[in-house]
Amino acid sequence: MRNVLSQTLRRTGTSLLVLVGVSILIFAIARVIPGDPARVALGPNATAEQVASLREELRLDEPIVVQYLAYMRDLLRGDLGVSLYTNRPVAVDVAEFLPATLELILVAGVMMVGLGLPLGILAARHRGRWPDHLVRVVSLLGVSAPGFVWAVVLMLAFSYYLGWFPVAGRIDEQYDDLRHITGFLTADTAFQGNWAAFGSAWHHLVLPAFALALSGIGQAARLTRANMIETYERPYIEMAEAYGFPAGRIARRYAFKPSLIPSLTIIGLDFAAMLGNAFLVEAVFGWPGLSRYGVQVILRKDLNAIVGTVLIIAALFILVNIVVDLLTTLLNPRISHAPGGRA
Amino acid sequence: MSVLAIRDLTLSFRLWSGPVEVLHGISLSIARGERVALVGESGSGKSVTARIVLGLLQDQSGARIGGRVEFQGRNLSGMSARERRALRGRDISMIFQDPTSSLNPVFRIGGQFREVLARATPGISDTKARATATGLLEEVAIHDPARVLDSYPFQLSGGMNQRVMIAMALANRPSLLLADEPGTALDVTVQAQTLDLMRTLVDDHGTSVLFISHNLGVVREFADRVYVIYRGRIVEEGPTRAVFEHPGHPYTRALMAAQPNLTGGGLPRIPERDPSFLAPLVVHGDRT
Repeated sequence: MRNVLSQTLRRTGTSLLVLVGVSILIFAIARVIPGDPARVALGPNATAEQVASLREELRLDEPIVVQYLAYMRDLLRGDLGVSLYTNRPVAVDVAEFLPATLELILVAGVMMVGLGLPLGILAARHRGRWPDHLVRVVSLLGVSAPGFVWAVVLMLAFSYYLGWFPVAGRIDEQYDDLRHITGFLTADTAFQGNWAAFGSAWHHLVLPAFALALSGIGQAARLTRANMIETYERPYIEMAEAYGFPAGRIARRYAFKPSLIPSLTIIGLDFAAMLGNAFLVEAVFGWPGLSRYGVQVILRKDLNAIVGTVLIIAALFILVNIVVDLLTTLLNPRISHAPGGRA
Repeated sequence: MSVLAIRDLTLSFRLWSGPVEVLHGISLSIARGERVALVGESGSGKSVTARIVLGLLQDQSGARIGGRVEFQGRNLSGMSARERRALRGRDISMIFQDPTSSLNPVFRIGGQFREVLARATPGISDTKARATATGLLEEVAIHDPARVLDSYPFQLSGGMNQRVMIAMALANRPSLLLADEPGTALDVTVQAQTLDLMRTLVDDHGTSVLFISHNLGVVREFADRVYVIYRGRIVEEGPTRAVFEHPGHPYTRALMAAQPNLTGGGLPRIPERDPSFLAPLVVHGDRT
């Protein structure tokens, strides 16, 4: 356990360095892109004086290093600056849009793990027979078409033709004045005991989450299948067979756990990548999330909002990676029970 | 009645180039409490024979099995896959070459032991399983069973893992133990110790053993009777002493000459094929 703790601390330390690096990079890139943010924000009818005064307010005429240091000073106080697009503090925007994206990604992640892994186990256990072929075709479809294609296809099929799911938004309009506590509508509605709104939130959530999860489900299933097939060749599986352990138990327990360890890192990366992939799905389903916000502010060269959004997403990405590393360590006794300190 | 009776066992695999027969009519029998060795070089068909007895090859598509394998008078090929599985780990168990890689690397010994015990006692409680396992590990001369049960296989030595495997194999008091080159992956002294231990235990419990090996020295120590297998055929059989003292078949003689000798003499050259090797001394039924 000491290994696990020291590893986590070390990873957290290096992650902070990575975040500083990301902040420098995105800060510089956002300013290098051609176009004057002040002019974009004020529109074509603004006078030269108005533009100049906004540039001064944004410190755009100072050296980039000075700008960066000033930004970091504010950041340490929790101030992400003001968005030129929404005219609100970026922190307020993030607080509003982030929960929507997180809710979407978490549900998609649960779908990815909850469907992808069992499908992979099923395919490996019935290798070469019809369940295997079916899983392989389905997962290949999931992997080969990007999420937004599935978003459109699913929306056409289930929302437009069948009418089973709503087309867009997070919840029915009648619940719009619902009190927000966490920003996770499924949680907020449950806290308030408003089960109709709870149902509506899930009803809106399922389809976009599934569209976002599909490629991850395919990837997780393929990876699990491949690793399990390799594990099935191991002597300890032959031993389990020789001792007559139930076939299902061998698949779900004795072959699955050793196979999960190498898959986990990639599944974790796939999950983190959803933060970026969520944008197109959010756009298709009119989902008011952070990814969609991020793209809109980039198009408007809204410097503070761009840097703020990217930093938040980078921090989440790193967090997911740390969690995945931690899980891998905990699952693999050869690391968590290694003699001596370093894992 | 013999515990195991194999008559005229054939095995062939269907490949796209056509069927390939790897066992051409094996017959052998093991009496209650008897230790029988099946000796031959790699690829002679020793291990597949053991796997057929376990019922592991029957369900594999592409494998065709002929002849009869009777375990305690019941014909294995007449059983369903479920019935064959029911025998495994309870009435028949197996010990493998490399104990460390035969134990699952990501589960503690205790959990794996419990799974083995649950074969005979479904739904056995954790405390009960642990108590039983502790007793069984003490039987194989493990002095700190608690530590071993809480360990992962990689934390134990090869010899220790082999003791664990022996304890697991005998845990449910099977009537037949298949030992496929047990401990070949271990160093010689550890292998000798663990084989001694295994021998004492099977003697105590009256377990019949099919001992598969290419190591004649070990076979001479361990087995009551010997079958020599060459290219999917039994070429010679007899009581261990008789076979070792008066090997009748040219292949048996060649195999014995291949044993390294402390007093020197070097390794003899054994031809890959020799027509005389294929002329059996043992004739079973109307085949061969």
